Amino acid sequence: MREVPRADVLVIGGGATGAGVAWDAALRGFDVVLVERGDLAEGTSGRFHGLLHSGGRYVVKDPVAAEECVVENAILRRVIPDCIEDTGGLFVTTPDDDPAYGDRFLEGCRAAHLPAEEIDVAEALRREPRLNPAIRRAFTVPDASIDAWKTVWSFARGASAHGARILTYHRVVALHRTDGAVTGARVRNERTGEELDIEAGFTLNASGAWAAQILHMAGIEDVGVVPGKGIMIAMNHRLVNTVINRCTMPADGDILVPVRTVSIIGTTDIHSADPDQIPVTQAEVDQMLDDGERLVPRFREARALRVWAGVRPLFQDARAGAVGDTRDVSRTHAVIDHRERDGVDGLLTMSGGKLTTLRLMAEDLVDAMCAQLGTERPCHTAEERPPGNEDGEPYHLGSRLGRRERTLQEEQLICECELIGRRRLEEAMRARGSTNLDDFRRLLRLGMGPCQGGFCIYRATGILHGVDRLDGAEASASLRGFLQERWKGVWPILYGDQLRQARLDDWIFQGLLDVEHLPSEQEVAP
Amino acid sequence: MSHHDVVVVGTGLAGLTAAVRLAEAGARVLVVAKGIGSTHLSPGTIDVLGYAPARVERPGEALGALVEAQPAHPYRLVGAQGMGAAIGWFKDRVANGSLAPYAYTGGLEENLLLPTAIGVPRPSAVVPETMAAGDLRDGGPVCVVGFRALKDFHPALLADNLGRSRIGAGARAAELDLVPERRTDVNALGFARALDDPAFRGEVIAQLAARLRPDERVAFPAVLGIADPHGAWAALEHGLGRPVFEVPTLPPSVPGMRMFAILREALRRAGGAVVLNNVVTGAEQAGGRVTALRTRVGLRDERRGADWVVLATGGFASGGLELDSRWTARETALGLPVTGVPSPGEERFRPDYFGDHPMGRAGVAVDRELRPVDAAGERVLENVLVAGATLAGAEPWREKSGDGLSLATGHRAAELVLDASTPAAGAPAAAARS
Repeated sequence: MREVPRADVLVIGGGATGAGVAWDAALRGFDVVLVERGDLAEGTSGRFHGLLHSGGRYVVKDPVAAEECVVENAILRRVIPDCIEDTGGLFVTTPDDDPAYGDRFLEGCRAAHLPAEEIDVAEALRREPRLNPAIRRAFTVPDASIDAWKTVWSFARGASAHGARILTYHRVVALHRTDGAVTGARVRNERTGEELDIEAGFTLNASGAWAAQILHMAGIEDVGVVPGKGIMIAMNHRLVNTVINRCTMPADGDILVPVRTVSIIGTTDIHSADPDQIPVTQAEVDQMLDDGERLVPRFREARALRVWAGVRPLFQDARAGAVGDTRDVSRTHAVIDHRERDGVDGLLTMSGGKLTTLRLMAEDLVDAMCAQLGTERPCHTAEERPPGNEDGEPYHLGSRLGRRERTLQEEQLICECELIGRRRLEEAMRARGSTNLDDFRRLLRLGMGPCQGGFCIYRATGILHGVDRLDGAEASASLRGFLQERWKGVWPILYGDQLRQARLDDWIFQGLLDVEHLPSEQEVAP
Repeated sequence: MSHHDVVVVGTGLAGLTAAVRLAEAGARVLVVAKGIGSTHLSPGTIDVLGYAPARVERPGEALGALVEAQPAHPYRLVGAQGMGAAIGWFKDRVANGSLAPYAYTGGLEENLLLPTAIGVPRPSAVVPETMAAGDLRDGGPVCVVGFRALKDFHPALLADNLGRSRIGAGARAAELDLVPERRTDVNALGFARALDDPAFRGEVIAQLAARLRPDERVAFPAVLGIADPHGAWAALEHGLGRPVFEVPTLPPSVPGMRMFAILREALRRAGGAVVLNNVVTGAEQAGGRVTALRTRVGLRDERRGADWVVLATGGFASGGLELDSRWTARETALGLPVTGVPSPGEERFRPDYFGDHPMGRAGVAVDRELRPVDAAGERVLENVLVAGATLAGAEPWREKSGDGLSLATGHRAAELVLDASTPAAGAPAAAARS
């Protein structure tokens, strides 16, 4: 690996915040290194529901967060159009909700300058025929759906184009400190085990729910993260084409977001002790399905594709008192100034926040760094478009099929569900230099469709084996790893058609290929 | 309303076996099915028992021990003797079938070890002649040949893993750039049709002959002909001057399609018929017997009278069994009791993909005469027999027992109907009409 001895700025964390920070700082001319312990957007960012908030969700409870959403929603539509589908959103009053909340909601929208409008229930049902016909009120808002992986990759690519170095699978194992200041970090390459020292003029902690673990390395113990676990279920098909929100105080299972070819229902909010231990329980799945029924009758008969949990980076400052319900923690963000708070120079932490405001979070964090460094460099992220978004064309549902149709006769289709051609997969494999099939799932959506890799993953393993000149053991390990990772996301929702699919996939992997008897490393012939 | 001696539900191996066996004995048989069955997904081998849980070398002997260890296993219903009879019957049907001289080889004495498309030696008891030379117990180097345009078969990966296996001999890969009709994306069936054509076979031989080493046998994806598989395989063996064998690919399975074609044609010759797009939605009953099946054909409902019903609709993978989101399981055609499903709140699957899953053996429980039974073990219907993957108690994919179970229980179901229908037994004269 190339030595990375020095940088102006070390960004810790390769989620939406970290990628946004790297993009922001690189645009301002800083020499940036970003380190991420896993893959980009593997943590919280890649595990959310895909809602680009209009702000409606927060207008009553958290007006500051609402106003931020209003502004940032508009900016992101401008700078990363390829990552956003303009679905629009509806807030609906179900029979279980208080119709009077709608008035407070409208009032809040006005105060936050959020363009909301009440429409007839009949009109709402005309637009969304699957919606619960018993709804009593409906309001339109400019919600949208956003592809978190594309967003993070756009910003990371943009940062790279401005000289930033993005090191995935590099875990921070220690922070360097000189005279009370943080001066870089020791990172371990999780693939090779090699360790590397990075000297940095400034360190920006953008590790979200993992921030406390980083701060612990700097000897800062009393900033706590309260990981708020949320589960989400991706349902096959677009049950709705508009983001649907329940018009009530934010609660569980009250948003349904159409993202690409699926609809995602979310979410819960459960205090979790460890951001790396967030198993999905059966009771949570049942609750989410019941919540879905409230929005779309016969929701339970639809096909569930995958379930996952993410952790919100909700912060708890020991000096500010205990937190009861994690949902009551503000969704706004704050820069933690460790010089002022802890007497530690060269380190800032981003606390809280949400994907919709990632750009603003990055701006605030880099502004705070510039202030400490005594330099004035203006932020450009509200105007600059990162790579992939230059033409200003917004994503629409047929975009991928439209592109694919042009070369349909010239190229093998490797993943039929997600329309991934062989050339694109091979290029990604060469560029990425990764043997982890899950990396290509996040990058290209490989194996994300209804069959959950049943057909494409054997093919992708064969192609990876050829492109990367892997030996059989490495290719097998990669395949087994993918199957296990996939299983994690499907077994709690195996009923109906997805159970049928899973059994068909067993037929292929166990019956036909006999993957479970692939020789392990130890069995290599002499 | 039509009326048949036997209505078989399902066009997988179990259903077709029962139907052909019955029709050949003179019964008037109708096979109804929602669509094509599992044959098009299966490797086309008859795997009797591959793992129990250690690798099985002699499946005939291992069946006894399996049933002793797992008294609820459906192999208890047939035993090694029933399995052997079914195999003999099946091999005979293929050898004298519509694709003859294409034939199956092997038996219960020992398992062959055939490489899978990812290079794992996989135990099979009875296999198409076109696969037999792949038996890895013979040692000897292998050249694995693939086609660039066939994405469902990766020869280098296969060869690499085979080389790592204790059993496998040396293996290497060769990829051919031959494409039927100059398309870039051709599936197994497309290649199989191309290989029915002697000209395409000739091109394969011409491209390959000089690249082979003297002692190598040659592995191909299982695409060596769909209309004339024996001809394609024999031509390649002759043209390359060495043993040639097929390795099953991802679905669609060409060997499975051959199996389907042979059995369907045998049924037709015996006077039976298959009607697809018929979804069984329930049954009319009288006195503990089904008198007619209700089927939905498109938007139309039909009644199909029957003296006997053989239910072979498959398991969860085939739609014969379903689990709803409230974790209630259902047998989809007749609403038969399903056993082996953990109750709500209990664990159905475990987080480790390759682990044991509590729901793995769910299905319809039957008595010794294949009649479905309830939780108390009481027979629920007198004239319905259940065969194949609908049966509870097996884990076909893990055991590598799927097609063996389907063949044996389908065959057994036919024998039971025939036994019960002889005038001596006092039952309705179904088969006696022959």
